[in-house]
Amino acid sequence: MTADNASNDAPQAPPSRRIDPAGLVIAAALAVLAAVLVWDASRLPTTTMYGMGPEAMPIVVAVGLGLLAIGNLIDALRGNLPPRESADPKPVLLILGGLALLIAIIGFGGGFILATSVLFVATSAAFGRRAILTDLVIALVMSTLIYLAFDRLLTLSLPAGPLERLL
Amino acid sequence: MESFAALAHGMAVAVQPMNLLYALIGVFLGTAVGVLPGIGPALTVALLLPVTYKLDPGGSLIMFAGIYYGGMYGGSTTAILINTPGESASMATALEGNKMAKAGRGGPALATAAIGSFVAGTIATIGLAFLAPWLVDFAVRFGPEDYFALMCVAFVTVSATFGDSPIRGLTSLFIGLTLGLIGIDKLTGQARLAFGIPELLDGVEVTTLAVGLFAVGEALYVASRRHHAEEQIEPVRGSLWMTMQDWKRSWKAWLRGTMFGFPIGALPAGGAEIPTFLSYSTEKRLTKHPEEFGKGAIEGVAGPEAANNASAAGTLVPLLTLGLPTSATAAMMLAGFQQYGLNPGPLLFAERPDLVWGLIASLFIANVMLLVLNLPLVGLWVRLLAIPQPWLYAGILVFATMGTIAAKPSVVELSMLAGFGLLGFLMRRFDFPIAPVVVGLILGPIAESQLRRALAISLGDPIVLLQSPMSATLLAIALIALVAPFVLKGLDRFKASED
Amino acid sequence: MIPFQTRLFGAVVALALAASPALAQQLELKIMAPAAPGGGWDQTARSMQQALVAAKIARSVQVTNVAGAGGSVGIAQFVNGAKGDGNQMMVNGFVMVGALAMNKSPVTLDQVTPIARLTEEIQVIVVPANSPLKTAQDLANAVKADIAKVTFAGGSAGGVDHVMAALFAGTIGADAKKINYIPFSGGGESLAAILGGKVTAGISGLSEYEGQIKSGKLRALGVTSEKRIAGVDIPTFKEQGIDLVIANWRSVVAPPGITAEQRKVLSNAVESMVKSDAWKEILKQKGWEDAYLGGDAFADFLKKETTRVTDVLKSVGLVKS
Repeated sequence: MTADNASNDAPQAPPSRRIDPAGLVIAAALAVLAAVLVWDASRLPTTTMYGMGPEAMPIVVAVGLGLLAIGNLIDALRGNLPPRESADPKPVLLILGGLALLIAIIGFGGGFILATSVLFVATSAAFGRRAILTDLVIALVMSTLIYLAFDRLLTLSLPAGPLERLL
Repeated sequence: MESFAALAHGMAVAVQPMNLLYALIGVFLGTAVGVLPGIGPALTVALLLPVTYKLDPGGSLIMFAGIYYGGMYGGSTTAILINTPGESASMATALEGNKMAKAGRGGPALATAAIGSFVAGTIATIGLAFLAPWLVDFAVRFGPEDYFALMCVAFVTVSATFGDSPIRGLTSLFIGLTLGLIGIDKLTGQARLAFGIPELLDGVEVTTLAVGLFAVGEALYVASRRHHAEEQIEPVRGSLWMTMQDWKRSWKAWLRGTMFGFPIGALPAGGAEIPTFLSYSTEKRLTKHPEEFGKGAIEGVAGPEAANNASAAGTLVPLLTLGLPTSATAAMMLAGFQQYGLNPGPLLFAERPDLVWGLIASLFIANVMLLVLNLPLVGLWVRLLAIPQPWLYAGILVFATMGTIAAKPSVVELSMLAGFGLLGFLMRRFDFPIAPVVVGLILGPIAESQLRRALAISLGDPIVLLQSPMSATLLAIALIALVAPFVLKGLDRFKASED
Repeated sequence: MIPFQTRLFGAVVALALAASPALAQQLELKIMAPAAPGGGWDQTARSMQQALVAAKIARSVQVTNVAGAGGSVGIAQFVNGAKGDGNQMMVNGFVMVGALAMNKSPVTLDQVTPIARLTEEIQVIVVPANSPLKTAQDLANAVKADIAKVTFAGGSAGGVDHVMAALFAGTIGADAKKINYIPFSGGGESLAAILGGKVTAGISGLSEYEGQIKSGKLRALGVTSEKRIAGVDIPTFKEQGIDLVIANWRSVVAPPGITAEQRKVLSNAVESMVKSDAWKEILKQKGWEDAYLGGDAFADFLKKETTRVTDVLKSVGLVKS
């Protein structure tokens, strides 16, 4: 958020004329979002007797999103997007994979300790750690302590799986 | 001045050594539980309330006050240190606070938060003691159209979080407004944008969005850039404590934050979020160091934290004078008060002055204890940031998901958290500001329902928005705030072209 | 490790009462609060936990929270996940009836096994002290004269306050569909709207506005109980010629598919809990009104209440028929 692009709201010629494909995708996504809002609002029953109905605000937001889609499109066509450095997709996918596994484990009743441990190991690997076993032990101990604190001290039940039942 | 005498008597009871100890224990427990993600102040109070039952009424009340303040402060600690606001009111604190922590200024950030909470809490408690009956009269006259006008003022101030490009700022805001539409419409009970998923009917939880965008998004972003340069977090750079400069920049922000927080908190539907945003944008406008905003400006922590705490004291105004809990935390406090035979309501100040002043004295003492306990801990807290980066971010992610798991352990909610994390990553990558999304989610639904209430009462006649003097004034302020920057900019250009 | 004497005593009592508390002592229950920690259902579940353990009716009670959509998420999980499990119960209440209908929930209250109603709260209609309306009949006349101009402030759409406003209109012969009901997020907000004279009348649980009524800031036009409540100087709607009886109740239910034996054990456990001193103490602390109704009477009540609420919600257009 520190990028310098003062040229955005100024009328002078943009610095580059290269079209930014990412900008086009963003503009398209906003337009799709606006269309979804209008579709959703159109199927709301109009039961309101007095004042504004539930469909008014979605339409207002949809119009705003539509205008912003156009604005972002113009920015993209002018190549007005701020410069960005290359990103390494591997660690991002690793963390997202960890989150997906966590959700799957919770969803299938694998329990809190296992789920958070997987996320911990995946994240720490994404940040360059290779000692997976050590990290796994750290994660298991930490999440077990957290589980016990919630369960015993606060009597809030976190999702329980096979590991939790051993405690 | 019988108030003073009564307060002095309450104080005399509260400063007995045992009671001071109870206050300290309360603050300690409150902070310890409050720093856990997903456990906001309301739940902290709910969980720890039974602990206080075992004491005599005086000690129990004072420990309760300590838990309350400790829980409030615990949420800010995680916001500053690991960018994981424990409740929506700490969001503004996270904006600058976490930047400070990353720049090695976590110590001053935590200190200004603690001292600011203390200053705001103290002033607001005095306000509670002497202005409550008058203030509640004003608060009760605030109708739906006035709230809508107040939201308009708040919306205008959002632009302070926009960054360089108005288009990208507005895009973020409208994404937030869209998210705010999800769920059951408050006025007609119709489901909007829920796509038949029952978990979506309650709408998007502010903390899920904030934690996803801030904590998860940030972890993804930092990970994606590791090959450029290892991000170095120094726990302490420069002084661990606030410097003279920090004090100078903080004290006005504390006072201004209190001025926003207390009266708005006293409004039945005021809440704590709006004053924190108002304070943040005010500090950003008034600061002498605008270049630091977005990189860790201490005013941006001091103001919102003070506003947050002052608004908490503000909610006690309707609670004590009308017996009305206007927030989840206040509802838990009501349960606590009833425990001590304190039945908040219009007659309370007249019938049981001893209990009221005892409570107010307890709040003072608890506030002092918060400072006593937490200032020495600042050094310890910031050491957390010395944890090696892989473990630090792994721990942050575990903490962040744990909050969601504890509050709503559903696959849908966790998927939303992950989705918001991805959104936060993409927005960082393409330089869209993050905060307006959360602001849109908070303000959008309030503005919508208040406007619709006003119009339902007036049978659809929009003139009602201008008929109330309060609403008309606020709308005028919003309009001026909206137009003034453009006019000033125009004048600047005009001047510049003359040179 | 129960001492021998206690076990012997337990066995004797079991023989004597045939309700077998010795068996019940072995109960390890799970109670689901289909709401976030801290709310009314959660407090009910945790109070049950406290009382069941304190009165030694169950050895352990675990409270789980499944929040979402007025209980729709919780009941779905309860009905599917706890089927046939005789050690689980779920707290629910009036609000869930409306929420399930409005959210078109595939799971309904017909599927659960009713155990008992526990508490209830009487509802009240109030007006600001300076309002020209003095009695429930005045309000009825105002509604009949111009239904749009009479604005009601209350809680969430489809909740007990909303249902009550529609019932009021229906009872006096006005068109329930045309009521101008304005939902507010909490008691504080709606009270401000009432005191500030923004709305004509307010609807809420009696305890919420009791302080204001006593201090004279609000005037109560009527309460929804069958008969006058002891110690409360407010006429019922019934004695004013308006047949409006409604209460905001909370109850506890068991999963579908449990045996009659299992149901008996749970019903007995809840019944002994309601009679325990621990429960009475909690009711007093929290200001809850005891409204115990067990067995088939409760099953009947639940069925009637479901039909009534669904009909009302249809009449105001919140639920499509």
